[in-house]
Amino acid sequence: MPDLLGWWSLTAVVLVVIGWYLSYSAARLDRLHHKVESARAALDAQLVRRAAVSLEVAGALDPATGLMLAGAASESLGDGQTVAGIDGDGGAPLEEAENDLTRAIQAAFEDPEHVARLRQNPVTGDVLDALAEACTRVQLARRFHNDAVAQAQRVRRKRVVRWARLAGHAPSPPMIEIDDSLPPGLVT
Amino acid sequence: MRIGLVCPYSFDVPGGVQFHVRDLAEHLISGGHKVSVLAPADDDTPVPDYLEAAGRAVPVKYNGSVARVNFGPVSATRVWRWLADGDFDVLHIHEPATPSLSLLALWAATGPIVATFHTALLRSRAMRAAQPLLRPSLEKISARIAVSEDARRTLVEHLGGDAVVIPNGVYVDRFACAETDPRWKGTADAPTVAFVGRLDEPRKGLPVLARAIPEVLSRFPGARFLVLGRGDGSEALEDLGPSRSCVELLGPLDDAAKASLLRSVDVYVAPQTGGESFGIVLVEAMSAGAPVLASDLGAFQRVLDGGQLGRLFRVGDPAALAGELVALLSDAGLRTRLSARAGEAVRRYDWSRVAEQVLAVYKTVRDGEDRVGEDPRTRGLLSRWRD
Repeated sequence: MPDLLGWWSLTAVVLVVIGWYLSYSAARLDRLHHKVESARAALDAQLVRRAAVSLEVAGALDPATGLMLAGAASESLGDGQTVAGIDGDGGAPLEEAENDLTRAIQAAFEDPEHVARLRQNPVTGDVLDALAEACTRVQLARRFHNDAVAQAQRVRRKRVVRWARLAGHAPSPPMIEIDDSLPPGLVT
Repeated sequence: MRIGLVCPYSFDVPGGVQFHVRDLAEHLISGGHKVSVLAPADDDTPVPDYLEAAGRAVPVKYNGSVARVNFGPVSATRVWRWLADGDFDVLHIHEPATPSLSLLALWAATGPIVATFHTALLRSRAMRAAQPLLRPSLEKISARIAVSEDARRTLVEHLGGDAVVIPNGVYVDRFACAETDPRWKGTADAPTVAFVGRLDEPRKGLPVLARAIPEVLSRFPGARFLVLGRGDGSEALEDLGPSRSCVELLGPLDDAAKASLLRSVDVYVAPQTGGESFGIVLVEAMSAGAPVLASDLGAFQRVLDGGQLGRLFRVGDPAALAGELVALLSDAGLRTRLSARAGEAVRRYDWSRVAEQVLAVYKTVRDGEDRVGEDPRTRGLLSRWRD
């Protein structure tokens, strides 16, 4: 009889430990998903900022360059859709719009001498600094986002998470791969 | 912006991380931000008004050297209270993998958290054991910064993930405009050479320099070696015999005296043999206009741009050091060229540029999240302790 009691209490303890571990893992995964969402929101905000600053810069350039840059920037601003909407609905064009804007910025400021001349003008100098900062922050935000995604994916791969289906129906967050390199003229 | 900085090491003892946190805090404050620094310090130690003392630090051996750190329920409660009072927009934790305040703060907080990794010297065995314990906490960090390419590589190897590299900062002008001191100024016959670092820590390379001295003296009999740093140097210098008199131990100097030493000497030598993540003294010497001769550690090569901004010698090789040092001391033109190139390149480490990059990281993480808050799960544990 005491033997049976011992077994029961051991089973109870094991169940409690398993329960605690499951809830702990679920909370950890939940926190990582939240972090990915926050990082996406941040990346989104930086992309919008970059497009907005590009529009502003476009007004201070020669008409041809300005028009090209403004076109790419407004494509990126689009109708409120953003890269963060990529996952479900085949939103590849949005990713493309960001790559196009990067290419437009690179084309507009590829010549460091030209950029140096623009910098001498106090008005264009200021907006150029703002553009450089916006581009740098896109790079930062994308790196932090993809880092968060990698951590979430790592925990999702854990056996306990897969067997207990702790991720539920939440889709696996994708990395965001866009070209966010700065033209050499803008690097400070 | 309201910024909370956490430094795991006591401000009572000087050290790279402490100086970095202090300078960053002061620069951010001068830029109009509201900054509070949480660091270990006794309750009766006088501290600057932006510093919140987290109680007496205990010396423990961790990762191969003795560090003065805080842990335990009392510290945890202070961290919690500091977070609640601070109401920060961003929390910036330094060395989060240290068993001290940084880890406690990481444990207790949620929201936009930035962490800076300073070290390039992690004992892999200790890290392997600590990994499963650390990982869930480290996952709370929204943005990771490494102070150098070497620190970044260490982080990637041991903990996975990535980090942006933002170098340590220096107030370049404080060094560039420091007064020279006639006591430390060299002449053509009696040139002066500076060494900066702990005397009794072989990793800092004083023994390597000591073994190179006789050969330098055979070419420059009047040369003087000015050694700045705390600790007992007798062991490193015991083999010098009669030439011991050319070495002058200055002891630990304050920042201003250090700047004028580096401003006065003919060459600054960095013979470190390993464990260097960045090489802040190299940057200080370059700011002060001292030509730099350094061992070819990865971190130093990067700071000196592969030898463009200063000379390099094979790490731990006294003969190579002596050869390069004699070459530098006999060529005033080369010294001037190196110092001019370095003086320009060093601007990128000025706090004005470095803090801008750090602020860009703060703004980026803040755009996605609310403010810093208390982690509800740890809060329950803490309130149990406080009662």
